Amino acid sequence: MRREYTLAGLCAGLLLSLDALAEPLPQRWVSAGGAATEWVVELGGEPRLVGVDTTSQHPASLQALPSVGYQRQLSAEGVLTLTPDLLLGTEEMGPPPVLDQLRSAGVRIEQLSAASDLAALEDNLQRLGALLGEPQRAQAAVDDFRQRLDELQRQIAALPAEAPGVLLLIGQGGSNPLVAGRGTVAEWLLQRAGARNLAQHEGYKTLSSEALAALDADWLVVTDRQLRGAEMQQALLAQNPALASSRVVREGHLLSLDPTLLTGGLGPRLPATLEQLARTFYPDLQPLSADAR
Amino acid sequence: MMPSQVARWLFAALAGLLLLSIWLSLALGPVNLPLADTLHALFGLSGLGAPASPQAELIVGQIRLPRTLLGLMVGAVLALTGVAMQGLFRNPLADPGLIGVASGAALGAALVIVGMSRWMTLPAAIEPYVLSAAAFAGGLLVTGLVYRLGRRDGQTQVATMLLAGVALTALAGAVIGLMTYLADDATLRALTFWNLGSLNGASYARLWPLLLVALGVALWLPRRADVLNALLLGESEARHLGFDIEQVKRELILCTALGVGAAVAAAGLIGFVGLVVPHLMRLLVGPDHRLLLPASALAGGALLLFADLAARLLVAPAEMPIGIVTALIGAPFFLYLLIRSRH
Repeated sequence: MRREYTLAGLCAGLLLSLDALAEPLPQRWVSAGGAATEWVVELGGEPRLVGVDTTSQHPASLQALPSVGYQRQLSAEGVLTLTPDLLLGTEEMGPPPVLDQLRSAGVRIEQLSAASDLAALEDNLQRLGALLGEPQRAQAAVDDFRQRLDELQRQIAALPAEAPGVLLLIGQGGSNPLVAGRGTVAEWLLQRAGARNLAQHEGYKTLSSEALAALDADWLVVTDRQLRGAEMQQALLAQNPALASSRVVREGHLLSLDPTLLTGGLGPRLPATLEQLARTFYPDLQPLSADAR
Repeated sequence: MMPSQVARWLFAALAGLLLLSIWLSLALGPVNLPLADTLHALFGLSGLGAPASPQAELIVGQIRLPRTLLGLMVGAVLALTGVAMQGLFRNPLADPGLIGVASGAALGAALVIVGMSRWMTLPAAIEPYVLSAAAFAGGLLVTGLVYRLGRRDGQTQVATMLLAGVALTALAGAVIGLMTYLADDATLRALTFWNLGSLNGASYARLWPLLLVALGVALWLPRRADVLNALLLGESEARHLGFDIEQVKRELILCTALGVGAAVAAAGLIGFVGLVVPHLMRLLVGPDHRLLLPASALAGGALLLFADLAARLLVAPAEMPIGIVTALIGAPFFLYLLIRSRH
């Protein structure tokens, strides 16, 4: 009995290694899409990157790589100058005729899901793991991600406090901020951090500063493409005077969030961000256990 | 009138410029192909020589050649219809956008780009075709409306048509604005890029419809040079010279709507060519449409190819929208000629 298992294992091992021989791992990668690129780096694939798109801005070391432009406006010849084996991106990548041209030039094209849910993330990471030749590491990353989120969820549920009402604003130098509504990554983020999104519309919309003030949020989470911290707060209040006298501002409940967190699906930095947000919303939250940190 | 000797030289120069732009467009790109490989690939493609390396064959045959053809067609059609509109409206500020074809196309594109992201999903492979078809249909529809509104008692009032064009452009702008409001971040960027035009991703499949329309326009419009010359004198004078002005107006507008509609559908909105090239050529060859039309076609094609070279080379491996380049090259050159011709 035991021997048969060993034999089967040997056969499987042989098959796997044959498989690996049949299709060598891609060595030169161009990655288009913020979260996808972050995962490549997270799983140790940074040395393989030879080019990234303009939405791949984190970590900062990527900015030394050649830029292939915006992920939806790739240029076939431009990408070919980098002689990549693989073009990685999300389903947002395009335009489609350029992808066809690249495919016929022998570039392998992998499009991950940009959806913000855990099932999509798991699938993405499994594919990435296979492409990098690091399936265990990718699976470990998924498990860790899931575990940290579950742990946070469990702890928040155990607290007696009521969920705070929060708005997430995406600004550009403080003016006309877009408010994240339903079905956005931003809303997913707020809910996972134990907050209630007060905005009821679909997608991202601008609200008048009066409407903003009337929603009477407990917290404002602001992600600004240009400004951070106190500067961001000043600019926002200068552009939206109605907010200045609102409860949320009087209590100083404004949080700043890195805008690169919200591009192209769930990225590896999300659990840490969620924990930080949750701890701000719920000061009583226990420090998370060592293995979940 | 211009002495024919000078005109001949000028056309030789323009043809030379066009050939140079075609050659550069085929030979230069972000991928550094040796000259011999490019030639080899071209001979291979035309069936004359042995096939070249697959890499060179692909880049020259599948990427640069369709792109070059697209640029030529779009440039020539935009410039030709620009001449036709300036002649018809007897207004130097006229460009092909005046009769609503550009804003109609932009409206069609905006509806598809935003609509597809919000209300329906199409397979990614046919998305570009739906977009092109919608832009083409939008251009024709709005132009048709402008023409209808300009007609009274069997006569087409050019002034009314101009105003109707302005009003419908504003209306289309409002709907585009609404679409912009409904769009999410990514869709917004797609819309912006479309509005700046690009020859990127040209493929033979999308080239054929434009090629047919463009050839039709390029062959037909120069035959109307005499009428356009007569129109320079004024509408009633042209009628007294024996031309059927109503018929001509209809033809010119249909031609512009088809040509610009197809160009915009294939490459997005590329500004400035339709306005500036006719002016440039008028400064060089004079107002005679028999010279002006072919000269504009040659210059339009060459200008667009040079602009596209800049668009693909300047920020390689990324790419710039070509509309930025045409305006950047076109506007200062135009100003220079204006200032020089005043002295």
